[in-house]
Amino acid sequence: MRWVALGMLLVAWAASLHAAPEYEVVIREHLFEPAELVIPADTRVKLVVHNRDATPEEFESYELNREKVILGGRTATIYIGPLPPGTYPFFGEFNPRTAQGKVIVE
Amino acid sequence: MLINSVVLVLREILEAAILVTALMGLARIVGLGLTWFFAAAAASFVGVMTLATVFGPVTDMFDGTGQEVVGAALQYGVYLVVLLVIIDTRQRVDGRRYSQFTASLMAIAVAMAVTREGAEIQLYIGGFMAVVEYRQAVLLGSALGAGIGISAGIIFYWTLVTRPRRWAYPLCLLCLCPLATGMIMQGTLLLEQAGWVQAGEPVWNSGEIISEQSIAGELLYAVFGYEATPGPLLIGLYGLGLALSLLASIFAIRSSTAGGGH
Repeated sequence: MRWVALGMLLVAWAASLHAAPEYEVVIREHLFEPAELVIPADTRVKLVVHNRDATPEEFESYELNREKVILGGRTATIYIGPLPPGTYPFFGEFNPRTAQGKVIVE
Repeated sequence: MLINSVVLVLREILEAAILVTALMGLARIVGLGLTWFFAAAAASFVGVMTLATVFGPVTDMFDGTGQEVVGAALQYGVYLVVLLVIIDTRQRVDGRRYSQFTASLMAIAVAMAVTREGAEIQLYIGGFMAVVEYRQAVLLGSALGAGIGISAGIIFYWTLVTRPRRWAYPLCLLCLCPLATGMIMQGTLLLEQAGWVQAGEPVWNSGEIISEQSIAGELLYAVFGYEATPGPLLIGLYGLGLALSLLASIFAIRSSTAGGGH
């Protein structure tokens, strides 16, 4: 019985960790769509990135402390925040000249 | 694309090259030799190709965060194995500073350190091989980046092994401590990205002094896991990891005086 309770607690803990509003970004022709993403301040959000290109891309942001390779034609999840209001640029490290975007925290 | 490739591959190579060459330096300093490195290179190759092959399914695990979880496991694994390596190089009664396990431990640490970075490079190069207009620039840039990264590692190796014998061993361990602890920093950042942990509010912002985007910042990140805005969790884990590795090093260094050896 104790183990069941512990298991339920762990599941609840894991669920609370992953409970976050979801935002979607698409990579197409080495561009982020949308290039600007507005999210609420002091809230952790789940960023779902779909790479519609055939080539891989690396989502990278020094300001957000995030770095993740997303294979061509696949989707990946990145959690960001909670963040204070401000602008946080991100870019595609494999195509930094074109793949540019920013998260605006309000 | 040429410059992009140089910078990208250099960053990835440097992260592994400094740690790998520090372990090679330690192996030479303790008299273990470098024959184990062939096994480490083979294991690294298998690790890189395997991870690159299953990268898609791995990413899909844990609600799209499997890449971070596997990466963090590798980073924490490197730290733990390096800790074991440090302890295992304590001096024995017969004067030896290695056991039957030292070479295997070093090979495992090298393979884990190379696997994640190598898989990212493999995916990058492989991904652009199909794009004819980028192919040449990506290959040339990657070769240049790899060359610079490996050269930096070789310079580091020779700097370690050419120190006076009395200082070479402690210096090598003291270099390994922050290098290995940087893996904890990087692993924790990955778990935070996956939503498994929350690092909390930044305790300070050293970005004005050393920006993460500057060459110094990139180098410090690659070598020590530098983070300009660390939260309490990162600082606590880094402190704990560094303290543990330093204690292990002190134990290993003092074993020579306790054993009355060389």
